[in-house]
Parts: sequence; structure tokens; C-alpha cells
Amino acid sequence: MLTLYLISHYFFPQQSNNNRPKLLQASSIFLFIALFIILQTSLYLIPKTGLRVLGYAANISVEEVVRLTNEKRAQSGLAPLTLNSTLSNAARMKGEDMINKDYWAHVSPDGTEPWKFFTDAGYQYRYAGENLARDFSNPSSAIDAWMASPTHKDNMLSSKYQEIGIAVLEGDLAGVDTTLIVQLFGTSLSASTQASVPVAHAEEITEEIPVIVEEEVVPLEPPVEPVVVAQAEESLTPTAMPLLALAKPPTTAGQSAVSSITRISPFNATRNISIIVVGLLIMVFTIDGILVARKRIPRVAGRTFAHISFLGMILAIALILRAGRIL
Amino acid sequence: MKKHATHIPHYLSLIGIFAVGLIGFLLFSYDRTFQIAITIAIAISYVVWGLVHHHIHKDLHLSVIIEYVVVAALGLVIVFSLVFST
Repeated sequence: MLTLYLISHYFFPQQSNNNRPKLLQASSIFLFIALFIILQTSLYLIPKTGLRVLGYAANISVEEVVRLTNEKRAQSGLAPLTLNSTLSNAARMKGEDMINKDYWAHVSPDGTEPWKFFTDAGYQYRYAGENLARDFSNPSSAIDAWMASPTHKDNMLSSKYQEIGIAVLEGDLAGVDTTLIVQLFGTSLSASTQASVPVAHAEEITEEIPVIVEEEVVPLEPPVEPVVVAQAEESLTPTAMPLLALAKPPTTAGQSAVSSITRISPFNATRNISIIVVGLLIMVFTIDGILVARKRIPRVAGRTFAHISFLGMILAIALILRAGRIL
Repeated sequence: MKKHATHIPHYLSLIGIFAVGLIGFLLFSYDRTFQIAITIAIAISYVVWGLVHHHIHKDLHLSVIIEYVVVAALGLVIVFSLVFST
């Protein structure tokens, strides 16, 4: 009996709730707001306690990232990029550096720029670029996110690049298990037909002109120069490898494929709760609107249709958003 | 019936605001800052719409204002939570 009363009190307009379902009253909506704030605070604090229960499941293969990248290039009439093992090694070094130093940026906290990993791996570049992604569950969603960003898209569809290096790494960033994708682009000096200059000179140019006219390289946020244009007479012969050769599992953090991590995804947890709460409110607003219209109950309240429309948009956003960040 | 008819232009404008916001969210799916800006703009537009609409219909009361503000705040908190956990 009490249960029926409570259901009726919370879900239907009646005298006990002043003709407004209790669930739709400001006090109840405040509770929902508090619930979300507590949830997000918990998700933020959990990693700091040392508990490793949060993470993003992923199943990403290097080959698929390369294939999808070349597929996008082909659609734009561009030549495919050749997978280069030296470049892949540079990508792995960059990914390991991010995990070891716990940062998510093009430039490390100690100021190390992405181009250092190219040269450390032994790749002397004429052009170089870097795209980063994390928390994506599959390669196609990461590629789609890069393609949706003008600067990342420019990197992927640049005719200046001839080679690509990919590293997929599983690691812990800020206490959350995640999967990183490091995508490096380059054209080695050996492939360059232009006049050459000493390497030292080339680096000087890079530093003096942070954002170069022809650069495509980068994504906005961190202060990384989008593109590096360098020329040198010394060159390395890129060791392009067939895709299958790169499929073998790398040593440490670098992996050609990362299989699922069974941890709680902060995004999925938030998304599921959002959908339940918003769906519930839309349902109760609808019931309320129908009953009030039918019974012609006079009351002072906002427009039910407006609230349903607004919450419907929030629901649509919750449904279209996907986990994953790019840089 | 007449009362509902007078609401239609208002509702169409409201749906237009939401549609533009949703499209912006899709188009700038890579830009978190822009998504946050869009969400704030829509929430404010929604509250302003409520104020103007009820003022025109001469039924604007404090409880109504609170209702729109609270629903808008819930929407903001949900979208912020989602965007920052991606």
C-alpha cells in the first residue's frame, strides 16, 4: 500500500504532491544534480586512492589503423603511406614516455618535443607529424575522430608524408588504465629530392619557425609546432616493413593489438546513469503532461513540452557521445 | 486550441535552438571546449526562452523560473560529466 502511494506520489500529479509529481519537483532534481556531482567526484578521486578499477576496454590493431588511414587517403586520391618500423619505434618511444611520465600532450612536462623521438629512433625526417588518441574502443572511432578535426585530418591527408609509424600501448594515465594510439607521419631525408643542408641547420630552422607555412602537423592545443620542415644531407634508409611484419607483439608497452581490459569505464558508467536519469524524467514529464491536460488541472508550472525537448536533446547528446580523446 | 496554437511559434524556435546545438555538438565532436560552450549557450537559451514565453503568457512566477533553472542545471551537469569523462 505504501509502495503504491510512493509510486503515485513520485510519478503522478495528485493532491499529495500539489499536482506535480515529486520526481519533477526542484528538490528531487537537485538530488539528481548532487548524484552526478558525487559520481564525478568519486571517479576523479578513485585513482588517487591507488585503486585500479577504472579503465577503458579496447581492441585496436596497428594494421587496422594503417589500413583505415590509407583508406581515407585513397578516398582523397592520395598515395598510401608505407609502414616504417623505425617510425613505429619512434611512436612506441613516445607512447612509453607519456605513460612513464604520466602526461597526455605533444610536449612532455620536461619540454621534450615529439620530434626528438623521431631522431632518437634513427629517423631523419624531412617532414614530420604526430597524432595522438586515447580511450577509444576501436580503431575506426579513433580514425573518425581524427578526421573530424581539421588539424589532425590535415596530417592524415597530407601529400608531404610518405611513411607512417603506429604504436598502440596499454598503460596507466592519471590512475586510469587506457589504450594510447600514437600515429607518426614522416618523409625521410633519403626520400627527399630537394637540395640538402646539414642536419644541424635543419633543426635550427625548426626551432626558429615554430609554425611553418607548410606545416600540417598538428593538433592545436599544446604548444607544439604543427609541422616540421627539415632538410639535411645525411639520411637514413627507411626500413619499410610489410604490415604483417609489424603485427608481432612488441616488447614492453608497445603492442600491435590490445585486448580488452575488464575495468569500469568512467565514460560508460556516466553515460549509462545519464541515460537512465534523463529517460526516467522524460517519461514522468510525459505522464504528467498527459494527465494534467486530460484532467485540466490548473497549476503554475513550466511548459512540459519545453522540458521534454530540452531533456530529449540531453539524451541525444548522451547517445551520440563516444569515449575517446584526440590530441 | 487557440492557446496551443499561440505556443507553436515559440516551440518551433525552441526546437530550432536545440537542433542547432545538437548539430554543433556533432560537427565539433573533436573540440571539447566548443562542446562545453554550446551546452552553456543552449542551457541559457532554454532558461531565457522560458522567461520570455511565460512573461508573454503572463504566468511567470518564481517557481516557474526555478523550474527552468534547475532543469537547465541538471542538463549542464550531465553533459559536463559526459564530456569530461570521454
